[in-house]
Amino acid sequence: MLVALAGPPNVGKSTLFNQLTGLRQRVGNWPGKTVEHKEGELNFDGVHIHVADLPGTYSLTSHTPEEQVAREFLLRARPDVVVAVVNAVALERGLYLVSELLLLDPPVVVALNMIDVADASGLKIEPEVMQAACGVPVVPISAANRTGLTELLRTVVRVARDRSGLKPRLPQVRDDHRHVYELVRSVIAEHWTGEYPVEWLTFKFMEGDPEAVAYLQRTLPGAEWRRLSELLREHDDAQVAVASGRYEWIGRLIRAAVVKPQVTRIGVSERIDAWVTHPVLGVLVLGLVLVLIFLVTNLVGVPVQRFLERHVLTGILAFVGRQLVSAPQWVRGLVLDGVLAGAGTVVSFLPVLMVFFGMLAVLEDIGYMARVAFVTDRFMHLLGLHGKSFLPLMLGFGCNVPAVLGTRVVEAGRSRLLTILLAPFVPCTARLAVVSVLAPVYFGAWAPLVATGVVAGSLVMLVGVGMLLNRVMPGQRTALIMELPLYHAPNWHAVLASVWHQSLAFLRKAATVIVLASALVWVLTAFPGPSLDSSYLARFGRAIEPVGRVLGFDWRMAVALLTSVIAKENAVASLAVLLGVSESGLTDAVRSAYGPAQLLAFMFVIVVFIPCVPTLVAIRRESGSWLWSVLGATLMLGVSVVVGAVLFHAARAVTGAN
Amino acid sequence: MLDRLLQLLARGGVRTVADLAAELQTTPELVELMLERLEAEGKLTRVKAACSGACVGCPFKRACAVKLRGMGYAPVSGAGAPGMPDSGHTVG
Repeated sequence: MLVALAGPPNVGKSTLFNQLTGLRQRVGNWPGKTVEHKEGELNFDGVHIHVADLPGTYSLTSHTPEEQVAREFLLRARPDVVVAVVNAVALERGLYLVSELLLLDPPVVVALNMIDVADASGLKIEPEVMQAACGVPVVPISAANRTGLTELLRTVVRVARDRSGLKPRLPQVRDDHRHVYELVRSVIAEHWTGEYPVEWLTFKFMEGDPEAVAYLQRTLPGAEWRRLSELLREHDDAQVAVASGRYEWIGRLIRAAVVKPQVTRIGVSERIDAWVTHPVLGVLVLGLVLVLIFLVTNLVGVPVQRFLERHVLTGILAFVGRQLVSAPQWVRGLVLDGVLAGAGTVVSFLPVLMVFFGMLAVLEDIGYMARVAFVTDRFMHLLGLHGKSFLPLMLGFGCNVPAVLGTRVVEAGRSRLLTILLAPFVPCTARLAVVSVLAPVYFGAWAPLVATGVVAGSLVMLVGVGMLLNRVMPGQRTALIMELPLYHAPNWHAVLASVWHQSLAFLRKAATVIVLASALVWVLTAFPGPSLDSSYLARFGRAIEPVGRVLGFDWRMAVALLTSVIAKENAVASLAVLLGVSESGLTDAVRSAYGPAQLLAFMFVIVVFIPCVPTLVAIRRESGSWLWSVLGATLMLGVSVVVGAVLFHAARAVTGAN
Repeated sequence: MLDRLLQLLARGGVRTVADLAAELQTTPELVELMLERLEAEGKLTRVKAACSGACVGCPFKRACAVKLRGMGYAPVSGAGAPGMPDSGHTVG
């Protein structure tokens, strides 16, 4: 008696084979293939049984060598029984193969393996119900624990001797294609040569299986073949109809036989997601999370930063000042009032940023970021954007440059350009950092709310501008299927590693771009002398001051804003240089120079201002034209100035101060 | 069931595997199975693979909080949008 073991990889098929045959097995290769061939023998109840262990496959198409071998064996060697080994914990995968096996000639016995594991994980499967639903014997076993094997062998022998009791319930082709199926089946049955089972040939022909198609072309009379292929051309969705039938069959079996769904952490994640990904509540949760990020940053990071600013930074300044006593005036100025005041101030914010990076890393690690993606995508709907456009925009929270490059996932054309234009509206880490740094400088306990408001404001701008652009260039959406990872406790090692790399990257930027920009700003304020007010930068600043005044900015704010185009952190560094913070530290200097309305407008404008140079370059590269960079920059300049001005005047009216 | 999945995808929008399973009244595992099939047929693409090139050269890459881990699948344009009749037949 010849028995074949079929099943997907990793379902315990080899374990079962070893348990059944013990040492009486041979291992070789299938003729002409590198696929391993295992055969063994056993005696059961006086019956000598040959067991062939087929290669692990998910289906019986002929795409892989394993599938070809398994299929050839089943079609040619015609085993007396096929044992379909199915993993009870991953039934769906196993049942797809069963749906194929049922169409073949040999009778099928389903071995429901790992039933003990399923039991232990709370998954209740009823083999009798499954048996009734698919019409072939289903035997629960545990190959690893050697349970159910005798029953399995008894069933195999019984079925091999007498298959008259088997009424396999085959997958059904979808209703609207039933007549096609019947027609094809009758033609094939009429000219049947006995080489392949009729149902199998019919299914495979409708699925477009190359071997079945070639075989029928070879064996059917010309007129019949033309009739069939014509029929299939008319019903070009036959393949989907057949596959649908298979999945429907699996779904029915699962619904019938699986009593209790798995109650594990999936359940917990889903319960959390009912809130977190809810259309309305999800947005509220997101807002609260943002407030929480800024709150923790404010509570933990800011005191450390204040300490660094007041004691360490001023200490360093005093120390360096003493070392440079004999140096020329311009060297002292450049080092103390330029580089140290600017880049030094930015570096003193590292504790704030580390807390901030840490919070982001935790949110990513526990799986919340994917939910943010999901929640915010609902707004893409308003923008007429693809689900796909949403991905690059999401990347923008990290950095706008990869966001612009990431638009490659979107088809070239309207959607892509629209996404490129919108990407810089997403506040990147650098801008979020500037906000988290500046907000506590003025707003104290209100800083988390103000910072969240500014970030939310920039996202509102994104949606607003997107809706407007969508009017000009309307489009349609396509689908995106997301796999939300299960929530889990944060991996602190990963979080710390993320904070470490972020901090390093931040310091590298501070040591290069920001040092240079701070030095440049200082040089432009020191020459031609004698005072700041007569410097080149002051002259330039005053030239643009009228524009700045609309926003409530003085010329120093306007200049600081312009330097943020090189790198967003420069806004803080330049402001520090221009306010001469080497004496008092940024917090005090800003407080004595500006009012809340000014700082609120300043933060908002920085977030929505002209994109940084690397982003503009990326836009040029991805859109193929500087025109789009200029357009993007103009768009953001316009939005930031108009909305910033409204914000400033509204805030001034409310607070009664600048 | 595959056809109903394709109809849902043709409607556009973002869904989770769990959403799709609920709408099709089946298990997430079966939905995964169908998505894998559509991917193998070239109708869907794993999204992460499609945008992995974007972060090359980004100094914050190793520290990026936006990992887009497990983002799932998106339709492949030009491969017969999901919901469209399949054109992958070898006949004729």
